[in-house]
Amino acid sequence: MSETIGIWVAAIFTIGIYSFLYKENPLYRLSEHLVVGISTGFGIAVTFTQVLKPKLIEPIVTGEHGAWLLLIPAILGLLYITRFFSGVAWLSRYPMAFLMGAGMGIGFPLSMKASVLRQLEASLVPLYEAGMPWDVVVGNIVMVLGTLAALIYFFFSKPHKGPFFGTGSKIGIWVIMVGFGATFGFTVMGRISLLIGRIQFLLGDWLHILK
Amino acid sequence: MSIWEKMLDLDRRWIFLLIGIACVVPFFTPLGLPILPSQEVIAIYDYIENLTTDNAIFVGFDFDPGTAAENMPMGVAVLRHAFARHIPVFITAYGPLGQGMAAMALEEITNEDSDDYYVYVNWEDWASIREQGITDRAGIEEAWVAAGNTLAENAHGWVFEGRDIAMLGYLPYFHLVILGMSSSIASQFPTDIGGNSLEEMPMYQDHKSLRDIDLAVTTSGSSACVAWITYGREKIGLPVAFGVTAVMATDYYIYMQSGQIIGQMGGLRGAAEYETLLLRDGYTKSPGKAFVGMDVQNIAHLLIIFLVILGNIAFFAGGFNKKTKLKGRR
Repeated sequence: MSETIGIWVAAIFTIGIYSFLYKENPLYRLSEHLVVGISTGFGIAVTFTQVLKPKLIEPIVTGEHGAWLLLIPAILGLLYITRFFSGVAWLSRYPMAFLMGAGMGIGFPLSMKASVLRQLEASLVPLYEAGMPWDVVVGNIVMVLGTLAALIYFFFSKPHKGPFFGTGSKIGIWVIMVGFGATFGFTVMGRISLLIGRIQFLLGDWLHILK
Repeated sequence: MSIWEKMLDLDRRWIFLLIGIACVVPFFTPLGLPILPSQEVIAIYDYIENLTTDNAIFVGFDFDPGTAAENMPMGVAVLRHAFARHIPVFITAYGPLGQGMAAMALEEITNEDSDDYYVYVNWEDWASIREQGITDRAGIEEAWVAAGNTLAENAHGWVFEGRDIAMLGYLPYFHLVILGMSSSIASQFPTDIGGNSLEEMPMYQDHKSLRDIDLAVTTSGSSACVAWITYGREKIGLPVAFGVTAVMATDYYIYMQSGQIIGQMGGLRGAAEYETLLLRDGYTKSPGKAFVGMDVQNIAHLLIIFLVILGNIAFFAGGFNKKTKLKGRR
């Protein structure tokens, strides 16, 4: 019974969201607000039951060995709330500073390696080697020249004129446009997929027309 | 107003209606167009195919309901593959809503009305087998059947909680959780979401940290997947595979090029390709949701291409490329 009610609620709000395609209406506004509200509420409930309660409140209440150390992050976390009181709002900067500092310290070296150095390394490929299949050769040439051309387009310290900067930036913009085109194509596919998912739900789980 | 101008001034709601019809009709008249798995999806499939019961994988449900239509079939397909091969799976979530998504995926796989369901055996239900000291997968199943349990005709197999699956759930600042798990999984998740101790689970005994894990598949609707690369792959060399939404796919192909991921499922198509492989090898009896949706996707794409061509014809034939702005309402 509860499942049936859930399916009906989901179906009504799915239609509510899609009713925006016709025009803005109260059911759409209600659905939109409920999505945000329920997501936040669910997040708070999960965070409380799985993080705050077992990892902070229970160890302190039961007097677990060394639990007093948890008071430090707990107090730091509570300092965020001082944002709402103008007189002591400056205290909220301490947890932010801690998070930013720790985040940078932990994340920067690994992010640099994962997203910059590895990508640089992957761009440094031989254009041709004996025995290399022709499609790989073409792919490598396109990738290396395309990367260089796109970088030239974003080099603004020199005017985009002449055979190197002029032609390079023109090729660069074509490469960038091809990239945008591929992304747009995938985006269309993604949006249609989301619609298909909802139609499968409406026709299958709700109306039982589809198996 | 010329015909070209009328075409460009068409109320967009007619286009929405056409797309809607194009996305409904093919469900009732399936074309059965073939789906050819791409190399990046085959790479993930083959990798899991080569794992055994002694290995273990992580599956991250790192998405929320907004992208579930694309990400959910990927997660379900990978879980089905792992369950079929009795590969232990740790399930995590980057966000709180992801935990709910993981629960829904498991619900789908264990739904008795499905052609391809697995019977979920709760942790407490096979306590007597553990008490006998039996922890290997084959031994557990043998003892379970010997205890009088029989598998339904349309069921694929058993999924033993604590041996085949551990639902670890969500923790905040998940990138730090990944770092922590590189030393010990139990240090971050002492229990699963049901409150069962991880250290008592047979699957944990052989895989105590991420260093003992053979693959992390992240089904992601955000940049969460990069955390697995940054803190898993680069820190300890954990093999990672992506299941990302179509919108994200082009951004993450670079990680294939650099060899940082073993493969990638991009959008509904990626999920459908994985389902095709499962169907081919008999791991499922009927096509999954993504597979069924691809016919619809193809028709919708053809319609969109047709409309784009039509719009361009009207634009150029009407000479609007020579004018500063279009007439009419828009």
